[in-house]
Amino acid sequence: MRVLLVDDESDLASALAERLDMRGIEADWVDSGQEALERAATVHYDLAVLDLKMPKIGGLELKARMQARYPHMKFIFLTGYGSEKDFETVANDSGEQCYLVKPVEIEDLIRLMNILTQDAGGRP
Amino acid sequence: MSPGLTLVGQSGLTYFGRTTASISHELKNALAIIKENAGLLGDYLLMMEKGMPIDPARFKTVAGRIEDQITRADGIIKNLNRFAHSVDDPVKAIDLNETAGLLGVLSQREAAMRQIALQVIPQEGTLTVTTAPYLLLNLLGRCLSICLQHMGAGKTLSVRVAKEGDKACIVFDALDAAALASAGSFPGESESALLSAVGADCRLDGNQGRLIITLSNR
Repeated sequence: MRVLLVDDESDLASALAERLDMRGIEADWVDSGQEALERAATVHYDLAVLDLKMPKIGGLELKARMQARYPHMKFIFLTGYGSEKDFETVANDSGEQCYLVKPVEIEDLIRLMNILTQDAGGRP
Repeated sequence: MSPGLTLVGQSGLTYFGRTTASISHELKNALAIIKENAGLLGDYLLMMEKGMPIDPARFKTVAGRIEDQITRADGIIKNLNRFAHSVDDPVKAIDLNETAGLLGVLSQREAAMRQIALQVIPQEGTLTVTTAPYLLLNLLGRCLSICLQHMGAGKTLSVRVAKEGDKACIVFDALDAAALASAGSFPGESESALLSAVGADCRLDGNQGRLIITLSNR
């Protein structure tokens, strides 16, 4: 599984990527939506983990743009808010409840990644 | 209760909720970074226990990140505390420089999300006014939000504290006057009620691209 982490908090994204790498998941990270689009144009990713609130291109917009170009990709949102409204927004937009509230447990994240990629017929 | 007071009350609750939600988001981010980097330190230790060498510089980098985020979270909580105490006294003498500074730190995230730099320029020395501290902060917060909504990404919004004769002013500078003029009726009902409650006036200077709040009760 190869994943792209997108979060404007680079100290979070880089640490998370390193921890996923240690667990056998190839993980790259970028700190903006624009960089994510550029990276995804050159690397095949199975899944992207997106911060919901980012400057310029937010998580929901980024997901829509990436999904249009790479229909195979799966998405997980990370949110720091944790309000009912945010959950509804993500759930309604994605059609599935693939979000986690920061701070995340890495085991929960990996479990969700595996569920989503297994559903897609990818390697767990 | 008069319609004006009702508007002030509603506006105050909305501003309090919006601001604390933004602060809680900032805190969550800091905690998430601390948690992930603490987890990374744990991973390094596990690897070392298994006999895999880890460069000490990696420990130093990760520990530094944790320390930075603790400092960040401490600052956020201090600002939250200052914000919470702004409701302590219905009316009191305040230093406008401090109010503008607090407004700046509370609004940084809102500005950053719009990719706008926020700059607070204090008046030299202190500039004391007697007013309703929380309502003033609420009024300035609404003005700042309106300014941000009508500025393009990549710009800088200056919030300047100034004297104007015997009055004290907060000047929102470097606005796109045309965009602000198209914003519709400003001040709206809520802003007008807040202006009245804190004893302030506001004017738009289209030529200079400024929104000026003037407080008369020094």
